[in-house]
Amino acid sequence: MSGKKIFAVIRREYIERVRTKAFWIGTALIPVFFMAYIGIQVATSHNAAGNRTVAVVDVSGRLYEPLARDLAERESRARAERGGKSVHWILAPRPVTGDLAATKEALRQEVLSKKIDGYLVLDPSLIEKDRIEYYSGNVSEYVAQNQLERAVNHVLLKERIEKRGLPADLSSELERHADLRPFKVTKAGATEEKGAALFTVLIFMIILYTTFLMYGMQNMKGVIDEKTNRIVEVIIASVRPTELMIGKIVGIGLVGLTQYLIWSLIAMNLTLPAIAGILTTPESGIPQIPISMILYFILFFVFGYFLYASIYTAIGAPFNTDQEAQQLSMVPMFFIVSVWAFFPSLMNNPNGGVAIFASLFPLTSPLAMFLRTSMGQPPGWQVALSIVLLIASTLLIAWVAGRVYRVGILMYGKKPTIPEIARWVRYRPGQAPQPAAREAS
Amino acid sequence: MDSAVELQDVSKSFGKFRAVDGLSFRVPKGVVFGLLGPNGAGKTTTIRMIMNITAPDSGQILVLGRPLDRETQNRIGYLPEERGLYRKMKVMDHLMFLADIKSVDRRTARQRIGEWLDKMELRPWLRKKVDELSKGMQQKVQFIATIVHDPEILILDEVFSGLDPINAALVKEYLIDFRKRGKTILFSTHVLEQAEKLCDEICLMSKSKKILEGNLKDLKLRHAGDELRLAIQATPAEVAALPGVHRSSAANGEFVISLAPGTDRRDFLRRALERHDIRAFSQREPELEEIYLAAVREAGLEETRTIE
Repeated sequence: MSGKKIFAVIRREYIERVRTKAFWIGTALIPVFFMAYIGIQVATSHNAAGNRTVAVVDVSGRLYEPLARDLAERESRARAERGGKSVHWILAPRPVTGDLAATKEALRQEVLSKKIDGYLVLDPSLIEKDRIEYYSGNVSEYVAQNQLERAVNHVLLKERIEKRGLPADLSSELERHADLRPFKVTKAGATEEKGAALFTVLIFMIILYTTFLMYGMQNMKGVIDEKTNRIVEVIIASVRPTELMIGKIVGIGLVGLTQYLIWSLIAMNLTLPAIAGILTTPESGIPQIPISMILYFILFFVFGYFLYASIYTAIGAPFNTDQEAQQLSMVPMFFIVSVWAFFPSLMNNPNGGVAIFASLFPLTSPLAMFLRTSMGQPPGWQVALSIVLLIASTLLIAWVAGRVYRVGILMYGKKPTIPEIARWVRYRPGQAPQPAAREAS
Repeated sequence: MDSAVELQDVSKSFGKFRAVDGLSFRVPKGVVFGLLGPNGAGKTTTIRMIMNITAPDSGQILVLGRPLDRETQNRIGYLPEERGLYRKMKVMDHLMFLADIKSVDRRTARQRIGEWLDKMELRPWLRKKVDELSKGMQQKVQFIATIVHDPEILILDEVFSGLDPINAALVKEYLIDFRKRGKTILFSTHVLEQAEKLCDEICLMSKSKKILEGNLKDLKLRHAGDELRLAIQATPAEVAALPGVHRSSAANGEFVISLAPGTDRRDFLRRALERHDIRAFSQREPELEEIYLAAVREAGLEETRTIE
């Protein structure tokens, strides 16, 4: 191994990539998309607003008035809490003309012609079965519907209380609700709110995830590029294949780190109030990220990236075009993406079998174990085993990739089969390649 | 004389296919050495083994007297058959990178690259991307990349294939120049005419084996037949009537004559001089291709592949 030669490869890889327009466009656009995404989320979940014209079919005849009053109250309360933003309900009673079905059909037409946003059916026979029906062109307005549901229930509660002859103001007391605020217990004894931690952890998770996926893939593309450009043999006359491979992986990894550095500098300087509010604690004003989380992040970042970069390198080496490699490149991608399938188990049942498997299996452990160590305290042996397995398989796969790479980069011509590629691994070191299939051109 | 490259009984198989079979040859320092043979003879595999890109199954390869190591690797300029460039890199950056991995310090590299870019009239293109260069210019860049570290040995695989005629002439000129400066050049080609004009020494390969090796002049002398070249003041009929002439043909004001078996060359010349005026007389040198075909026949290897 020659450090100087590896360094030369790293430098080329890094400078050429950081110089591209694609790098800067990506660096600029991804935070914009991310912010826009959060913005949309915040806007749609907390700031539900606008008018809702709703017809109320009150079969009982007693519920409409209290409901209208209750909703108006809720509206003004929400307005006070959230800076003047709330759904504005415009209710209109609708008597049942003819039978109920005919009324509903008439209302349906009105919804379709957009005269009204929806209609609520308060039918005592259904209320008996704890059912209220709300018909609308849009049934996914979670916040607005939640408000409506609470209002109707409050009215029904009041009615039941009065029926039993209890004081009417008991209802608001009975409706009081305590929020569960989770605090995380850490070794340092400090506690912090789960919501804040989850947000930070998710940002780190997304960084890990995109690094494995995007920068892993970049390794594959880089290898194929060198083959299609027919440059690789020129280079390995000066640099050993292993040196070239390591240089490329490190160089591309550094490009990723540069991107994250730029993002964190932007984030620190522009600290968007919304995010700062969630991330910071009132006392310090700086994000509370535990040292242990940062250490785990670095560990899982480095080994996870090396593992996936090696896999992608090995996948790229035998092929001559991106298309040929595409099929195989789905395999690592599948494992990276699978973390979202494991996500519910990891969050809700972090000590269950699925979570333990995901956080020990080396292809998912960088993401899964990072999540578990950040959200709780998995048993020490699991963390240790996960790290040992990850490091061992990174070394093993890097070794295998090195062998496939050595042979593959000189293979031109026909697409090799998987058994052929497997055979390359067994060649003795330096014993590498076959003739380029095109030697006899 | 010291050897620049030496192969001792080198073999290499790929699966069941024997690409190189017991090959030995020696490239003395300071010569132009041609590794010749048709496509598929094993030339590229041989060169890759010399470059340590492929390891031999058996046998030994010495470069400058020892097995190839990092230090000697830096003293070789290698142009593979499959050669290319990073398409998105700027010419100067590209050449600097290739010098870098040959461990040339950056100042020397910059200066040397500048000189070569001037020589090859590429100076205006130095900040352009490889992509924007014509094919011919890219070939020039590749050639500069091969020699940027001022190597002692040049190893060129099918160097002329794909070169346009102007660049081919240019490269030929530089190769001759290199030899004048005491450098060693080993190149492979399947085009025998090119080798004939450039080589001091050759090794002929066919079907993974060496069939002939040696100094080209010696080989030509050794394989010279009994044909003579005669510039003579006579009609074809007169020439045919000379004693000892077995067959004669006229070409470009000369005659190519083969003598009847047992005829002494000096006798024939003496008698011819008595009758006619002779301006020039020489033994006809065999073409490399004739030597090659004769060697193939001798080695008992039926040559099925065509030679261009």
